Amino acid sequence: MDQFLQAVINGIMLGGFYAAMMLGFSVIWGVMGVINLAHGEFIMVGAYATWVLNKEFGWEPFYALAVVLPLMFVVGYIIQLVLINRIVDQPHLVSLLVTFGLAIIIANAMKLAYSADPRLTETGFAGAWELGNVTVPVTKTVILGVALVIMGSLWAFLHRTKTGKSIRAAAQNKQAARIVGIDIKKIYALTFGICIAITGAAGTLISPTQAVFPFMGPPLTLRAFAITALAGLGSIPGALMGGMVLGLVESLIGIYVSGIGTNLAIVSAFVLLVVVLVTRPQGLFGGLRPMEEAQPL
Amino acid sequence: MTAIATEPLLEGRSVTKRFGGLIAVNDVDFVVYPREIVGLIGPNGSGKTTLFDCLSRVQPIDGGRVFFKGVEITRLKPHRVAHLGMARTFQVIRVYRKLTVLENLLVSRQWRGESLWNQLRPSHPDTEGQARRLIEFLTLEHLTDSPAGTLSGGQRRLLELGMALMPDPDLILLDEAASGVNPTLVETIKDRIRALNTEQGKAFLVVEHDMRFIADMCSRVYVLNYGEKLAEGTPQEVMANEAVIEAYFGA
Amino acid sequence: MTVLADVAARPRGSTGRKIGLGLLLVFLVVLPLGTNIEGQTWVTNARLFQFTQMFMLITLASNWNLTGGFTGYVDFGHAVFFGLGAYGTGILMTQQHGIQWPFWAAVLGGAVVAAIFAVLVGFPTLRLKGPYFSIAMLGTFVAMREIIRVTKPVTGGGVGLTLPPYLNRALFYYLTFGLAVLVVSVMWWIRRSEFGSSLIAIREDEVGAEMRGIDTTLHKITAFAIAGFLSGIVGGMWAYQNTFIDPDVVFIESRTVELVMMTMLGGLGTVAGPVVGAATIYWLRDVVWAAFFDWHLIVEGALLIGIVLFVPTGIVGMLGDRSGTSLQRLWGRWLGSRDRPGAGPDPPRAAPPQPQGPQGDAGDEP
Repeated sequence: MDQFLQAVINGIMLGGFYAAMMLGFSVIWGVMGVINLAHGEFIMVGAYATWVLNKEFGWEPFYALAVVLPLMFVVGYIIQLVLINRIVDQPHLVSLLVTFGLAIIIANAMKLAYSADPRLTETGFAGAWELGNVTVPVTKTVILGVALVIMGSLWAFLHRTKTGKSIRAAAQNKQAARIVGIDIKKIYALTFGICIAITGAAGTLISPTQAVFPFMGPPLTLRAFAITALAGLGSIPGALMGGMVLGLVESLIGIYVSGIGTNLAIVSAFVLLVVVLVTRPQGLFGGLRPMEEAQPL
Repeated sequence: MTAIATEPLLEGRSVTKRFGGLIAVNDVDFVVYPREIVGLIGPNGSGKTTLFDCLSRVQPIDGGRVFFKGVEITRLKPHRVAHLGMARTFQVIRVYRKLTVLENLLVSRQWRGESLWNQLRPSHPDTEGQARRLIEFLTLEHLTDSPAGTLSGGQRRLLELGMALMPDPDLILLDEAASGVNPTLVETIKDRIRALNTEQGKAFLVVEHDMRFIADMCSRVYVLNYGEKLAEGTPQEVMANEAVIEAYFGA
Repeated sequence: MTVLADVAARPRGSTGRKIGLGLLLVFLVVLPLGTNIEGQTWVTNARLFQFTQMFMLITLASNWNLTGGFTGYVDFGHAVFFGLGAYGTGILMTQQHGIQWPFWAAVLGGAVVAAIFAVLVGFPTLRLKGPYFSIAMLGTFVAMREIIRVTKPVTGGGVGLTLPPYLNRALFYYLTFGLAVLVVSVMWWIRRSEFGSSLIAIREDEVGAEMRGIDTTLHKITAFAIAGFLSGIVGGMWAYQNTFIDPDVVFIESRTVELVMMTMLGGLGTVAGPVVGAATIYWLRDVVWAAFFDWHLIVEGALLIGIVLFVPTGIVGMLGDRSGTSLQRLWGRWLGSRDRPGAGPDPPRAAPPQPQGPQGDAGDEP
């Protein structure tokens, strides 16, 4: 029972991180119709930025958010203007291939810059609380907290600010949004910038718990895709639920199928993805726009 | 009026289709006899295309049963229904844009239960002959080798009709075969449908907005409104029906 | 931006082109004899090895094109069939307890495993549309690598398997050359057959094809299984030639996308496209590798982006396009893709045109 409780707690913490990690992917897809296969690579870049600040300047990793968020926003904004703008509303095959090319470039550029060695950051938020026989690690609690704050802020931004409402309008009906005077191009650049900023922030969050290396991206992208399928495009509550489901599945499998469990986590993500896609093509929790409306290849 | 004492070709009993809370087709009964041309009319959103989608089985039927040639098709897969001898055209034209006109027709020949092995060959000369005759019948000879994507709307309507005819079906569902087609081509299409009906005995179920088209072609008409059957009868009877007039022109 | 070239099923092959193709084939047949010629340094065992690699890529890209190009199901995990073929062959040839299968039987066994897997995984995944299929297959691929890694007693896990070494470059050259010729002929045949037209009909309008009597599930699964089987054979040959397999050398993520890139460069949905694309990229990569050793993957990523944005219909499509010179068209595309983004009305959705689905037009008749 304790083992089960522990797995549930781990799963919830993992799930909170997953939810924050995949939001950028899901919103970009929902708003711009671009499936960003370089998503995991942007997380990796955020993680490297955090590692540099931690190692070179001795920053507490979580405080690195102050740098990572604006930095990644600028990176995203520029990449949108230079590259992504060309593939918005193109067939999905185009966006898949272009962002995959981008992923190869980013991953290998980071390998050139920092080698393929795994890097670890050190956080002051260490230790753990003991609740009965269950351990609650402090680091992961902080991660969960920051993840929830990120999600809450994004929700508030999308629903309470004028710009956020414009973004949602653009996601639902581009033509109508244009008619009421929304500058779609600017909205897209802003959306991409914001999404990449929170994606980079996810890199900061992951850095104290996992080694950072240039090729850590693809499994994260795959998970982001799986959760998007669970959650529906651009839905923040859905993201939280989907993240939790995946986090719990991975954590429970990790405990009960000992030895091979962690390796099979990615397999479970995939099986979940296929099952959901086949049975509920619109996602489990609805979203910005129905999945069927997603463009064809 | 068509008191033909034969088995119905197509028969729907209490067919019902819902989209969430919305009832698109509600408890509709209908019958099409062999060699008949039956009209299906109604205002926008009255459920005509939905009913077609249910008949060709791309939409699941939520209630009621449908029989075609005495076989229940309520749960059959779309291609199985096609194999039984039902073909259709579409309100939103569906041709294979990257294939040529000839290829579009060849590929619409139905593979009635034929093994895949037999399909691993170029089309049989007889099939190709049939396709070329159809192209001639539809006055599309000059476009035989053009990709269907390059055809005009009216030419695509004709091609679609040809694709529906290719497997030699017994019943053809025509969904607004004349919309967006120039008047000369409409006459061609009517002419072809009549010829198919009288010479080859093909039955048609026709969704159409053009009342002249309906009056010219159909022996019987069903009127749908808000998914319910409002009236049925000859075109003249139906057009004189007050409920129908009200549904069309509003109260 | 359309990503599919218009190429008729029965192109009127000019005599010149036929002669050219014949000469090329003859050249490739006699090439290995060159190793016996004294004093020349071009035809070496290393060179034959390069050709072998190229033939394998041509074969894989052609197989990928059957589902990705003809049927319109863009498979991001096609290398899983290659991997299963390699492992099937490896396991059968090194079986510790049972009989060690001879190479040819083991390759067939591995290919059958790959084909069966294609059928099993195709049933759920081929119901998915567009990017969902692509990513589900990417997931299958990643998952299979982990499964191979953890089923250590059979697959050797992370340690890998060592196959009986057999070094005869000329033999592998002829095996892979023969396979490539066979596979391209099969694709050519399929393209002309009713089966092939049905696949394209599915790509163009799956719902319409289904309503017109094509058993779409059967067609898709058959195409998938054929592609899986043939890629399984390539995997088996590769394993035997390489003599060593482990999950990381067999299941390389970039391999799948390489195939997409090659096919797109050559021309998606054409028979010649994968051949032209695979050959071009293979030799181009040689140059890139030599010129930018550390950078070669970055250059490849940029190349992929460039191909997708600027040569979307591929080389074969461009050759078929008669409007202006190739350079003018390239320039036009560059300008076009600079102007297009965001501004102005939506560009028309590219092929394959997506049927709006019956839901889309339900109840809103004009």
